[in-house]
Amino acid sequence: MGLKEDLERFREVGEERRQDLSEFIQYGDLSGGRPDQIRIPIKIVNLPEFAYEKRDMGGVGQGDGGTPQPGEPVGQPEPGDGDEDGDPGEESGEHEYYEMDPEEFAEELDEELGLDLDPKGKQVTEEIEGDFTDITRTGPTGTLDFERLFKEGLKRKLAMDFDEEYVKAALQIDGWGPDRVFEWARTEENIPVSRAWIVDAHEKLSAEERTQYESLAEMEATVEREPTPARIRREGVKDIPFRREDERYRYPEIIEEREKNVVVVNIRDVSGSMRQKKRELVERTFTPLDWYLQGKYDNAEFIYIAHDADAWEVEREDFFGIRSGGGTKISSAYELAKERLDEEYPWNEWNRYVFAAGDSENSSNDTSESVIPLMEEIDANLHAYVETQPAGNAINATHAEEVHNHFGDSENVAVAYVSNPEDVTDAIYEILSTEQNDE
Amino acid sequence: MSERPQSKPMSESDDTIYTPEDIRMQREAAKLEEPVKNATELARRLGLNPYPVNYWIVDYDEMNELIAYGGFQQRYPHWRWGMTYDRQQKQSQFLGGKAFEIVNNDNPSHAFLQVSNSLADQKAVITHVEAHADFFANNEWFALFSRDPNAAAQLASHADTVRNYMHDPEIDRGEVERFIDHILSLEDNIDQYRPYAPISVDGDENGPELAALEDQLDELNLSEEVKRQVFDEEWLESQAVDETDVTFPPEPESDILGFLRAYGKQYDADAEKAVEMEDWQKDILEILRREAYYFAPQKLTKVMNEGWASFWESLMMADENFADSQEFITYADHMSRVLGSPGLNPYSLGLQLWQYVENSENRRQVVEQLLCVTGITWRNFHEMVDFNEVLALLEPDDLVASVDTNRLDAIPADDPRIDYESLRAATDGNVDLDRYPWKLFTYEGLAERQYSLVKPQNRGYLSRISRDELERISRYMFDDEKYDTVAQAIDAVDYTVGWDRMRDIRASHNDITFLDEFLTQEFVDEQHYFTYEYARSAGDYRATSTDYRDVKKKLMLQFTNFGKPTIVVSDANYRNRNELLLEHQYNGVALDIGQARAVLERIFELWGRPVALRTIKKEFDDHDIEVARRRNKEPKPKEVGWEIRYTGDGFEEEEVEWSEVEQLAATDIDYDTKPEEWLA
Repeated sequence: MGLKEDLERFREVGEERRQDLSEFIQYGDLSGGRPDQIRIPIKIVNLPEFAYEKRDMGGVGQGDGGTPQPGEPVGQPEPGDGDEDGDPGEESGEHEYYEMDPEEFAEELDEELGLDLDPKGKQVTEEIEGDFTDITRTGPTGTLDFERLFKEGLKRKLAMDFDEEYVKAALQIDGWGPDRVFEWARTEENIPVSRAWIVDAHEKLSAEERTQYESLAEMEATVEREPTPARIRREGVKDIPFRREDERYRYPEIIEEREKNVVVVNIRDVSGSMRQKKRELVERTFTPLDWYLQGKYDNAEFIYIAHDADAWEVEREDFFGIRSGGGTKISSAYELAKERLDEEYPWNEWNRYVFAAGDSENSSNDTSESVIPLMEEIDANLHAYVETQPAGNAINATHAEEVHNHFGDSENVAVAYVSNPEDVTDAIYEILSTEQNDE
Repeated sequence: MSERPQSKPMSESDDTIYTPEDIRMQREAAKLEEPVKNATELARRLGLNPYPVNYWIVDYDEMNELIAYGGFQQRYPHWRWGMTYDRQQKQSQFLGGKAFEIVNNDNPSHAFLQVSNSLADQKAVITHVEAHADFFANNEWFALFSRDPNAAAQLASHADTVRNYMHDPEIDRGEVERFIDHILSLEDNIDQYRPYAPISVDGDENGPELAALEDQLDELNLSEEVKRQVFDEEWLESQAVDETDVTFPPEPESDILGFLRAYGKQYDADAEKAVEMEDWQKDILEILRREAYYFAPQKLTKVMNEGWASFWESLMMADENFADSQEFITYADHMSRVLGSPGLNPYSLGLQLWQYVENSENRRQVVEQLLCVTGITWRNFHEMVDFNEVLALLEPDDLVASVDTNRLDAIPADDPRIDYESLRAATDGNVDLDRYPWKLFTYEGLAERQYSLVKPQNRGYLSRISRDELERISRYMFDDEKYDTVAQAIDAVDYTVGWDRMRDIRASHNDITFLDEFLTQEFVDEQHYFTYEYARSAGDYRATSTDYRDVKKKLMLQFTNFGKPTIVVSDANYRNRNELLLEHQYNGVALDIGQARAVLERIFELWGRPVALRTIKKEFDDHDIEVARRRNKEPKPKEVGWEIRYTGDGFEEEEVEWSEVEQLAATDIDYDTKPEEWLA
């Protein structure tokens, strides 16, 4: 079929219409991507058409279990309510994404900024078969991922299972026949029981048993409905419904051994003075740096350190969002960074990058007495400090300046200032080109 | 009468080498032969009259390709199929393989089954497909294009034509692609209420050939109802081109594609003027216009058609046990995912409306009978009628409720509900009634067996009838003392009225008339529908109303004219310089100006000279918004006439006098559902 061709054309068209990379870094939504996959919005792949202004159109929703009262906020309309979302006046609201991996991102950024960082140690030494971690739908029985098969089966089981005793008890209500119980189970109790099962169970009851309870209320007071997970825990699992479509087979991942790796330490001031805008600027600067270095090295590891007067390590997801109340002591973060690097990432085996960001406020003398000596102590390809001050300089915000004055145009220390999104690409250039000068 | 499922799509050549994959397909095809035969039979017994359906077994990749191509195997080359394919693949990758139903409007229809689906899913797809094929064959809006669309062949030939142009060394491929993009922006700007009439390439420039239109209409065999709605006298007259008329077109023309095909030119940048379109351009324009007309009926009936298919699918699968109990669980799970997806879902809206039609038609008849019982009037209805008694009397007769294959000889002779041919075959052992009990019954038998009002989920329906409706029904009744007892009245109930009525509706309605007629307050309350609007004062979306008239209004807005604003060609000699003037027939909802500009740029390429659009714009004053916010009100916009003109190298925009646009503003409709004061 001609579809392969259409798909290629779409990729080309998508490429042409991809949002300009530096525009994306400055203003785009960076959160859409995963660490290993960068999603660049494509401007208009949908063709324009005569359409209503979305906001002016309003719409119809369907309440889930109840109807919202007039005046209640209903949130953004779900996509699928209309044709697309987006602000009025935009050429097209629905974004398609062009996905690139970090390597492509690094290449593009090199081109965009006129950089060409040549990372050390990108040679493949050998290929080995690694763990059986990749999966496929067919394969030799020995490689069947039984755990997954079991889990999916268990999920099905949970969806189909019900408390038999409880339904039987309903059959023991005086005057309730299979029909009444079926109706009750399906409509009132949401129990996935079949009519056939009920009829069956009913036949097995003696006449005496059938009138054990006078009413539904009495039955409910006597018998407690046991939730499925509890029952399965008690009874154990029998008869898991295994299905062919749940089968997955593992095959070995091919691993390329690399000579050198990179570790990036991202440090961020999370103290009270770091408000929303400043945090956003940090994210905007650090995220592309992460992608870039990840694209340049084959094995990149990241350490995220948040600090106020104390420092602690956090997960990436939390890194850009955290806010705390305390004061600021930047050296606490460098101490932690040094500890982590010395422990796991020896300088002779790893390329190290230490990036810090904040609003340049620090407790008095901390910069000159502690931070600068620590920066000198920590061997790294590059140290960088990014000052984010949307409103210009605050009076006692001198950390960046002090670092800059001390190191001057040093080969491995960069200081960059970001006061609005437009400065981001310059800052990235400043940081990345500093190491380039090194060579 | 469908043919047996086949393992290879029809375009594949008949080679004789079979791979293991082919054999897998053949096995699946063989397995589905019986379900297909039975589904067709059951559909016919239930009163459906589908086109014959050819079923094809395809693999996962082929299925994704078919979905991307809108249900066909060959389409003209275009990147947007690639885009859909890409999205489709990613979706199924992340959301898991869903059982897709693909059937196209053709006679015979072609439907595609994915080889890896479970048997339960295959059966569900087959029953769903049979109902769609019935809809295609019987809904009169589909007749507007053709009762014999020959679609697969036609689309394939379109594909060949476009591909040939692309490969023609004289023609720049990129130019062909851009030209197609331009036209696709206007895909919905046709006149979907008119039958398709081609404008041929070598025809003269006198516009669509309309002479034989009346004859054509007669050939379409439309019901009077549809004819009245669409082809009134006024319309026929308007088709006669008046030579002396000074403005052209004489009446605003909504088939913009047709108009551009007949009178459009291209802009020659070197000569800096409009020149005739190339033959390939005219040809492609007409091809895409024809495809737009072919797909229009499906867009016009989406809610009805999807609802119709879901209704019969559910009846066959769940109520007539077309799936065995094990399969039923998979089926129920699948169904709940399809119907449960968030937002306004055409499948569930349609299904609910059809169920509502069935129930309310059945109820109307029962109530009519009850009102004929001596002593029962609309005033005392709820006190006099014992609804449990009525429901018990309405329960299907034992004869149809279940089939006891050991006692077939006890079935009385001459009962209209029994299919005696099947009975004989069953006695001879040729039909398995344990497995397919429905084979014993005729349409009448099945209608009683599946009577909606006594089903557990509908049991409250009868007693919920409002006094208003009771009064309305009683107003048209003359003999209100026909029966002495309730039992006599119920005995006269005809179990088939619900389905009979549903088939009439599926023949003559489209989504707009369907919603207009059947969306009631009872329905809106029961299904928790509500309207919402963007509140400028609050800066977010707010629920605005639960009144069915408002819900209907908003739904009409979403479905009328494909949910798009109506744009017409108003003057082809604008500014006395052969510029094109378009008008937006403003219904109170503003146009997306950004997109409109982009479309004008494209129309320029198809007209060859400057193109202008007039609309009415809503302007909000920041101060008004602030004042409104403080007073818990919505700010009132100021409406102004607005003209956007694209000259070929830039836009000119200006306010125009209100008197120039006044005729565009509809005064009889108001889609706004915001209450006066409501933020509190």
